[in-house]
Amino acid sequence: MNENGFTQFSTITVLLLLAAFYGGTYLLTLLIRKEKEDTSGFMVAGHHVGFGMGAASMTATWIWAASFYAAATSGYTYGVSGPIHYGLWGALMILFIYPFGRRFRKLAPNGHTLGELIHARHGSSSQLILAGSNVLGSIISLMVNFTAAGALVSVLSPLSFETGVIVAGVGVLAYTLTSGFRASVFTDFAQLVALMAIAIIIIPAVLYSAGGPSVMVEGLSKMTDEQANLFSVEAIMNQGAPFFVAVLAYAIGNQTISQRLFAVREKNIKSTFVTATIGYGAIVIGLGMIGLMALSVGVEPIDGKMNNLIPQMVSTYLSPFFVALFFILVIGSLSSTADSDLSALSTIMMADVYGKNIAKDNPNPKVMMLVGRITMIVATVAGLIFASFSLDILVMLVFVGALWGAIVFPVIVSCYWDRVTNSAFTWSVVVAMALFCIARFELLEMTGMTVLAFEILASVGGAVVIGMMVFGFFGRAAGLVAGAITLVAMLMFATGFLRDYMVLVASLTAYGASAVVCTAMTLLSKEERFDFDLIKKRVGDYDDADSEGTAGLIPEGAK
Amino acid sequence: MTNELVYGAYILVWPAITLVVLGVICGAVARDVRQARNNDDDLI
Repeated sequence: MNENGFTQFSTITVLLLLAAFYGGTYLLTLLIRKEKEDTSGFMVAGHHVGFGMGAASMTATWIWAASFYAAATSGYTYGVSGPIHYGLWGALMILFIYPFGRRFRKLAPNGHTLGELIHARHGSSSQLILAGSNVLGSIISLMVNFTAAGALVSVLSPLSFETGVIVAGVGVLAYTLTSGFRASVFTDFAQLVALMAIAIIIIPAVLYSAGGPSVMVEGLSKMTDEQANLFSVEAIMNQGAPFFVAVLAYAIGNQTISQRLFAVREKNIKSTFVTATIGYGAIVIGLGMIGLMALSVGVEPIDGKMNNLIPQMVSTYLSPFFVALFFILVIGSLSSTADSDLSALSTIMMADVYGKNIAKDNPNPKVMMLVGRITMIVATVAGLIFASFSLDILVMLVFVGALWGAIVFPVIVSCYWDRVTNSAFTWSVVVAMALFCIARFELLEMTGMTVLAFEILASVGGAVVIGMMVFGFFGRAAGLVAGAITLVAMLMFATGFLRDYMVLVASLTAYGASAVVCTAMTLLSKEERFDFDLIKKRVGDYDDADSEGTAGLIPEGAK
Repeated sequence: MTNELVYGAYILVWPAITLVVLGVICGAVARDVRQARNNDDDLI
């Protein structure tokens, strides 16, 4: 233990643990290495990832280092219901996207990114809005994961923060660079097995070392009424509701998810995503319970930093062997997400930027592969630099989250409604972002009719969120009814009340404004109806394009 | 005693579910490996 109460490993021990993890992962990728990788394998593993590998990869990718820390923080802050209000909504992000994923796959069976589908549907401006939001999200995720590695290494060993950041960056790049997405999925399986096994051991170990359930029950008396309540309104409004609102936005805005929707065998999409939902929820909520245990036994986070809670509890109650397991757990979770981000970024640059906008649907597969690998190297360097600066990511996350919220309605509706136009898509996102900024940063005085107008837009946003979720599972009629009921309920009960939660109002405004503008512009448009069969013809396999020596794809705009 | 059982179960149910999901995923991957081997195909 050091003076702060954390178990301290020697430099040699930590370097050996890191070498074992990254060395072992690299050796695994040698098992699947091909002499000549093709673009389809590099981007989506040839569209035939099986159920087991797919579920493991989706679960491992969605669990990043912040998942544990944030779930434990939620447990410590909001008590009994806290871990659920973090883990459940994160899990539902995986669940609610799969019905739409099946539609994306039906429209573009040979697709690699959602951006390609939108390009085929609308053209470059809509596609680049989506691809841009995907790129920003993945770079932020890379930075956060590398930062978590640096922080963990510096807390548990004499090594510096920068050393941890560099080892993680180089380690992830080394095993992802050659085989791309195939390596990411294959190593995700091994990383997830380790991660799950460690979680299964650590959670009961901490519980019983801290005194068992009886001590936890005694701890309930130390909690506030809200913390001891499983149905805490405070937890719902401050933790659950903002996450619930983000369920579809995070799923649509994240290329790591859509990449797996295009990679898993079509018949396995449902089973893969349902299993990943349950797996993610169980691991994250379970580890979040360590935060609840800390609250129950009266542990104070060292230096007041909530991110110290889990390492502190593990160091306090378990032997160094378990701390080493915890170390591997965090390194595994952040690496599996970072390799997926590298694959996502390379695929966006290969398909959306090079394939669609530079090569104009007639790409050279060799150049395409080079673009993908160079992107991985550049993204890793950028992630390392940003992580070393320890930037405040909150502002970036606010904007990216809003952008994802703004594109949810136009993206989904574009895949079902043949009248939606490129202008309707683009302008709806622009207007939604402008109104979001006004609400989020209160650029106008939020009183009287102004705040009421935003509450009405937010109510529309709430209706869009619920309506879309129901629509995905039960179809158009049920979605419209659910949306209408939500709208009426929100107009009756939320106006005059939501203004106390302006962050929530701003997020919902992004959904509501984009839905209103997109619908209005679409209804006013006189453009010809879109033939959805064209998407299948416009989104194809880039390897075939080369072998035939001609453009295998029909460019956007041609009919 | 009842409270202890409920509270203990509330915390321990999550690693238990994790164990079940781990079993499902490993079983599915084992099937995929067998299938790939039988078809002389790549696992991934």
